[in-house]
Amino acid sequence: MTFEEAQRELEQIVERLERGDAGLDEAIKLWERGEELYKQCVGQLDAAQGRIEELARRAESAKP
Amino acid sequence: MKVEALQYGDRKVYTVASFNRGVADWLSRLPTIWVEGEVTELRRNARWQSVFFTLKDPTDGACVGVTIARSRFDALRLDLADGERAHVFGRPELFEAKGDYRMRALSIERFGLGDHLAALERLKKKLAAEGVFERKRPLPLLPRRIGLVTGNDAAAKRDVLTTITARFPAARIVVAETYVQGPFAATAMIEALREVSAAADVDVVVLARGGGSFEDLLPFSDERLVRAVAACPVPVVSAVGHEQDTPLCDLAADARASTPTAAARLVVPDAVELLQRLDRARGALSRGARGVVERRRQRVEQTHERLRRAPALAVERKRARLEHSAGRLRALSPRATLQRGYAIVRSGDGIVRSADAVAAGETIDVEVAEGRFGARVE
Repeated sequence: MTFEEAQRELEQIVERLERGDAGLDEAIKLWERGEELYKQCVGQLDAAQGRIEELARRAESAKP
Repeated sequence: MKVEALQYGDRKVYTVASFNRGVADWLSRLPTIWVEGEVTELRRNARWQSVFFTLKDPTDGACVGVTIARSRFDALRLDLADGERAHVFGRPELFEAKGDYRMRALSIERFGLGDHLAALERLKKKLAAEGVFERKRPLPLLPRRIGLVTGNDAAAKRDVLTTITARFPAARIVVAETYVQGPFAATAMIEALREVSAAADVDVVVLARGGGSFEDLLPFSDERLVRAVAACPVPVVSAVGHEQDTPLCDLAADARASTPTAAARLVVPDAVELLQRLDRARGALSRGARGVVERRRQRVEQTHERLRRAPALAVERKRARLEHSAGRLRALSPRATLQRGYAIVRSGDGIVRSADAVAAGETIDVEVAEGRFGARVE
């Protein structure tokens, strides 16, 4: 699942929950799914940031 | 000598001498006129009766021989040199012994500054009307090779080379040294221009010459050179003379520099500055990438915050709905019945539905539509 897909699903879940038309059990399930998607998004952002910092470090050390 | 034909049957035949005589006669009847050209191959000898030179058309090289009586020539005190432009007043004359014709000059006037200026102005208008000055191509940011057309003496050459090398040490330059003044300059420069612009990888050509007199710079306004500059397959930077000089090749070039040094600055970037710019670009690149992650992170965090609050909100909403229902439920109690005059009677055991359920002397509770009161059973 790409970051954008996860983010889109997470936002849809939040909108659904905020509309308040989900049953209580369903709302709990949606919440759990939302938390899962959030972790996934944050993980992917952390990975991207790590790569950026690594590249910047490498570029810096390769300076003439 | 009379022009007389011999008769061979019904054919008239002339001798060569009489043919030439006839042509000479005819030529001598042509009017005396002014002709403009460049003086070349001037030959004057104190023992000769005449002075000889060739008058050449500077545009297409057409030539005519000119003779003028030596006394007349000397009286003009012109001190003409090869390559100078002049107006010659004369008429054609046949040299009968050879059968070639030349111009018999009666007077010569040096082509003055005013004539030059007027001629340049005419040429400028003509070339402008043809659109020769219109093509302006952008100069390459970083030419693979640079062509330099310049004089062999020249401070101009040194200025261009030093400045280019100082700004961009790795620059590669093809130099074509050529005449930059005098009668052969224009054709020599055209050839040099053709040569360097055709050299492999040359992306731009600099035409450079330091300052000089108006006459010195005239070849740079030569129609052929101006056209060659305009037609050059790679962009041309013209750096001729000083700020105030505007030879026509400056107008035809893609860029004009006021000095050779300025031309050098136009054709190569400053390496140090370029590296700084690249460095800044790289910095902006990593900042940009970090910014993309940061913006996404903020959005995810905001969404997460909404997610965190959502279940409590949902429960709260359900609770509120429940309370609402409870309220309505309470509202639907039998009060309506009490309004009609009924009462609810309660004893310690609950609602009294039978007289047997109470004993005399017992305290009971009576609820009516408006409030409640205690009573004792009799």
